[in-house]
Amino acid sequence: MKINKIIISFISAAVILLSTSVVSFAKVVGDKIVLGAAISLTGKYSSNGVHTQNGYNMAVDRINSMGGVKVGGKTYKFDIIYYDDESNPKRAAQLAERLISQDGVEFMLGPYSSGLTKAIAPVTEKYGVPMVEANGASRSLFTKGYKYLFAVLAPANLYLDVAIDLAVEKNNGKGVTVAMAFEQDAFSQDVRLGVLDAIKRTGSKKVIDDKLPKELNDMAATLVKVKQMKPDVLVVSGHTKGALTAIRQISEMKVDVPMLAMTHCDAAKLSKQHGKNSQYALCASQWHKTLTYKDDFFKDGMTYDADFTKEFGYAPPYQAAESSAALLVFKDAFERANSFDQKKVRDALAATNMQTFYGNIKFAEGGQNVDKPMVLFQVMCDDGGKCENKVVAPTKWASAKLIHPIPSWSQR
Amino acid sequence: MSISKNNLILYIGILTFGIAAPFIFPAFKVQLSILCVLIVLATTWNIQGGEMGYNSFGNILFYGLGMYLCASVQVGMFFPLAEWTESGGEKTFVHTPAQFFQGMAFGLIVAAVVPTIVAGLIGYSILGLRGHYFAICTLGLGVAAGEISGGIEIIGAGQGFTTPPFPDVGSLDSRGEFFYFLSFFVLVLTFIAVRGIYSTRFKLILNAIRDNEDKAEAMGIETMKYKIVGWMISAFFCGLAGGIMGGLVGYIDSTDVAFDGREMGVFMVLMAILGGKGTLWGPIIGATVFHIFKEGFWTFFLGWQYVALGVLIVVIVIYFPEGIMGWLREKYPERFGEVVDEKDRKAQVELK
Repeated sequence: MKINKIIISFISAAVILLSTSVVSFAKVVGDKIVLGAAISLTGKYSSNGVHTQNGYNMAVDRINSMGGVKVGGKTYKFDIIYYDDESNPKRAAQLAERLISQDGVEFMLGPYSSGLTKAIAPVTEKYGVPMVEANGASRSLFTKGYKYLFAVLAPANLYLDVAIDLAVEKNNGKGVTVAMAFEQDAFSQDVRLGVLDAIKRTGSKKVIDDKLPKELNDMAATLVKVKQMKPDVLVVSGHTKGALTAIRQISEMKVDVPMLAMTHCDAAKLSKQHGKNSQYALCASQWHKTLTYKDDFFKDGMTYDADFTKEFGYAPPYQAAESSAALLVFKDAFERANSFDQKKVRDALAATNMQTFYGNIKFAEGGQNVDKPMVLFQVMCDDGGKCENKVVAPTKWASAKLIHPIPSWSQR
Repeated sequence: MSISKNNLILYIGILTFGIAAPFIFPAFKVQLSILCVLIVLATTWNIQGGEMGYNSFGNILFYGLGMYLCASVQVGMFFPLAEWTESGGEKTFVHTPAQFFQGMAFGLIVAAVVPTIVAGLIGYSILGLRGHYFAICTLGLGVAAGEISGGIEIIGAGQGFTTPPFPDVGSLDSRGEFFYFLSFFVLVLTFIAVRGIYSTRFKLILNAIRDNEDKAEAMGIETMKYKIVGWMISAFFCGLAGGIMGGLVGYIDSTDVAFDGREMGVFMVLMAILGGKGTLWGPIIGATVFHIFKEGFWTFFLGWQYVALGVLIVVIVIYFPEGIMGWLREKYPERFGEVVDEKDRKAQVELK
């Protein structure tokens, strides 16, 4: 049978193709420390993926141009191998495997989003590859006993519980009614748990608890309910698209609610895209440029903001800032470990205790950063329609006073 | 089922290659495992789409079901499932190697059996639809399953489900090897089963359904029975493939990993068509070529990989509308289907 010949030649062609794809072992080559990262360049997280990548690149350039990393008396420069994980956990796990076993990467940077981090962490853990991640906040990441996972950000359940506390405080300590709408993904659902805890703690009541689909484009059904139920607080979380959808539809439907608490406002460039419509929105943030943290590389938040804007043409959301901080943590750990041994670097990472422009960084047993509080900012606009995010809580950092309740649409 | 001498050499060759592959390409074990899973999916899709003429987008349902079931059983056998998947849970559970492998074995059995039963149950109503209606209905199945599973707390809902980490059994390579050989074993199993089916009257009945279902029924064939059995066979192997993939990826997300109709669901159709649907080898070749191209694009066209993939699909549709096998058959008919044609011709002569 000749068909066999065809099949055999096909198989051999495949084999040749496979074997010619070069297996390069990168890790620490010459004067380069090669880090690996799977980033969402396409798919539903693509905009935040780009923020993350820009944050990484900014820090790599800065550290390299300011002398690089000194290990064992030699100076090394950072380099990053990127792959596109398409916002897909399956792909992300595959890419982590590829970075480690094919590209020989020995140190990893995190992807964007909790879901993808959850997919990658088992792989890095298996190979004992230290990973510093800046965008996986889901609490369940830190309860799996991972030894090689370090997150520079505060866990997701802390994002919006402050907002509930704030609403209760404004209500003279009495419980409030809360409407919740969360996207069905690892991060947003964890934010939801934090809010639920806060509701329980403050004796508040949840009146709406909606799950929204991924790739959030419409939440009109929830907003109709909000109009009917008139809750004291509306909490929305669904990454960038969730924030954009919420503001768009709230302003279209003229939904009046005394407090609107959200996540991802700055990543969505809300104040720019929706201008005055986004006014009064309260947003959880890992970082804000007005915070007074300092380091040697980026100086402080304001300088980082200016430098980033100059380089990439837009103001840095906290996703970029925390990503830059991840590199600073790696540099610090390499120098303290004074070695490229993965175990030693891991131990050095675990002992991290430093301040960066982004905040203090100190890891708990589970790998989460316990030394950095969340901040809440509110979008505030002047009469000319120019909007700015101003920190309103916690009081230590506040640069403006919270406007509460939000004036109704008829008065705006 | 008789195997000719040439075929035997071919099969032994492939088998040897399959067993040796992870040692020849140690760095590509995960890709090779995924290739095996892709081939299983394409081959089983071909039973519906290729042989029976029912373009199913619903096979992803069985794949996702298998994935969730396998992981749930693996966890649930030893630990409380609700606490495992509880988001923000404080407890850490660790499988011992024995628990892991026992759980996996039972999990895979459940992952194969339950989807088969589900296929049997829903098959009666859904397989009554034909053409576009069937395609749309099955498309809905996968989407609905994804949304429903995204709301079930015990399997992690929107938080996702972290499958048990591979236990520490000495070497770092053992995980890759375990999953590779598992998926290769399932691939071999699928191939033997499908090849077996294709050499019986069953395949002819499926073809009869494809060519003219009403006529087949008029000839006294209980088409519904065969359609359901065909779907159950696909479901069995899709479930197995899903179970393995869940363990391999390590994290199950309702719409992005398990009921991933947008990627896996479409890929299985694409691979079968690329290789040539309605043939035994088409889906296998299609899946292999597709996977190699896809991995290549991902490495060399970062950010543009889907554009490149799109161009590939356009090229396939324009230049290889019948798939690679179809194209080869057209190009080298005398080399290719000589025996088949000969038999066919003779049969027709005898009929006259």
